[in-house]
Amino acid sequence: MSAAIEIQSVTKRYGALTVLDDISLTITPGEFVVFLGPSGCGKSTLLRMIAGLEAVDAGEIHLGGRRIDTLAPGQRGVAMVFQSYALYPHMTVAKNMAFGLENIGLEAAEITRRVTEAARVLEIDHLLDRKPAKLSGGQRQRVAIGRAIVKEPMAFLFDEPLSNLDAALRGRTRLELAQLHQRLGATMIFVTHDQVEAMTLADRIVIMNGRKIEQIGTPMDIYHRPKTRFVAEFVGSPAMSMLPVAAVTAESVEIAGLGRIAAQLPGLSGFDAAGAVLGVRAEDAHVLPADQSGLPFTISVVERLGDRTLLYGRLGTVCDLVVEDTGRSTAVAGQTVSVGFNPAALHLFDAAGRACDGLGG
Amino acid sequence: MAKTYAPTDLIANRRLYWIAAGLAVVMMAPVLWIIGLSIKDNAELMRGTQQVFSAPYTVVNYLNILKSSNVFGWFLNSLIVALGQTVGVLILSSLAGYAFARLEFPFRRTLFVIVLFGLAVPEQVVIIARHQMFNWFGLHNTHIALILPGLSSAFGVFLMAQFFRAIPRDIDEAALLDNTPPFRIFWRVLMPLTLPAQATLGIFTFLLAWNDYWWPLISATKKEMFTLTIGIASSQTNFAQSEGLGFLSAQAVFAALPIVVVYIFFQRHIVTAVSGGAVK
Repeated sequence: MSAAIEIQSVTKRYGALTVLDDISLTITPGEFVVFLGPSGCGKSTLLRMIAGLEAVDAGEIHLGGRRIDTLAPGQRGVAMVFQSYALYPHMTVAKNMAFGLENIGLEAAEITRRVTEAARVLEIDHLLDRKPAKLSGGQRQRVAIGRAIVKEPMAFLFDEPLSNLDAALRGRTRLELAQLHQRLGATMIFVTHDQVEAMTLADRIVIMNGRKIEQIGTPMDIYHRPKTRFVAEFVGSPAMSMLPVAAVTAESVEIAGLGRIAAQLPGLSGFDAAGAVLGVRAEDAHVLPADQSGLPFTISVVERLGDRTLLYGRLGTVCDLVVEDTGRSTAVAGQTVSVGFNPAALHLFDAAGRACDGLGG
Repeated sequence: MAKTYAPTDLIANRRLYWIAAGLAVVMMAPVLWIIGLSIKDNAELMRGTQQVFSAPYTVVNYLNILKSSNVFGWFLNSLIVALGQTVGVLILSSLAGYAFARLEFPFRRTLFVIVLFGLAVPEQVVIIARHQMFNWFGLHNTHIALILPGLSSAFGVFLMAQFFRAIPRDIDEAALLDNTPPFRIFWRVLMPLTLPAQATLGIFTFLLAWNDYWWPLISATKKEMFTLTIGIASSQTNFAQSEGLGFLSAQAVFAALPIVVVYIFFQRHIVTAVSGGAVK
């Protein structure tokens, strides 16, 4: 069972401090939405408000057409997987999964059926008699997901559930979560500050920053068409480099103190270049052959990743830049090379951090 | 690299062992002494307590406890008072500790500070007022009178509140999402997690109640309401206890038996509690 979630003008305050300001968002049934943002941006708070663990100070939340922000957490039809898993330490795995069902007075036979089925799906059926202390991190995580599944909720809420796992297990569990979503077809909201998790899992990503939603879009939208400078710099690794802009036309951008570079910038009308910056992803900047001229780039650090090489350095004496080179790059630290840019993949942001229409947005 | 020990470390360790052994002898000497006295004939001890080092030994003092002493009645009183206080303190301290740790209510912090003041107020300060209150209510010489004052345990409330605070709130929240009513969260989810603290508090309360002397001395004036501590003290026949010393020692050993049993069974918890690690 999956249902739509509608968040309408929701606000959250702690005393005089507003942590979420007039947030609105619609999530369609069966969608996998990831809340992504830096620590303290309010993404976990928003999730907890949907779960009923934080009060809503203004606005409404609807699930499956029913208003839920006035209901107790257990009556909202959602299940949550906590960052710490929050398993009951004194109960066995089976009891952990069955506890919520016992509370609603479900028949014992039905409880057993659901627990057994969830355990089979998650491949934890051999662990049902163990207590959480006897489980590994990954197994605990599966139990926490199992506890959510048996409730057959209308929506699943995940609060950074992979952050306590080691890198290898996190990758595997990420894949399993994606498969689980496909199998259940349930509405899922996933909170993380890890952009790899967001990019790989989400149907849509909600980027949050400073009490507000910065951008909502598919992973590719967010990556290739960031609407704000914050989104551009937050998503992508390494972070997008920002070059100071002196002047801009539809075909070129003058980088302050360095010269012009070719660019394809439609929709420039009304764009104010004062204080603007040009965003360049590492893969859209490249080292030019010796017979071609570009902007001078002095390499300070060479980071070899095997399939590619990242070159960190200064563009002239103006600003920092990261350039992606091939895995077999011969570049060395201290060397000065010429760099060029992909004119179709540049991002122009005004002084307020808004993307130029027709580029980022 | 494995740590290597210099010979001087070993010597220092050996010295520490000898010091510890010496201290253990000092601690055990009075216990062994009283056990020795309890298995000597009263008349023989009249000639001097050095008789404890030579045979014959006898169990007649213990047989006399079974036959003629009031010790069994006092033992029962002590048991009722100690168990009553232990159960009561565990219930009240758990409820209060949970409330202070988890519930939102007006003046919560102020009330907690007031409770903690109880740790700083010695019993002697309130004893006259308490005696008068119990006198007005006609409660003296009852088990209730012996149990009631010990139920308000500031230490217990503090310990349990700290323990509840140490339990991650995620657990409560998971239970809330599991549709668990508030009292069921307290009873089925959180209480089982506080067992180490319950054990610590229970043992301390039992030992304190069992060994309490002052309040029973004031409240229990009838011989049949004496607890063991008061009863044994009342068995002293003269100031120097030159008569009936073996019998008195046997009663003391008998009185200490429950404490020894408690210690043997809960040794691990007592060591943890005394070393201050119980809340972790």
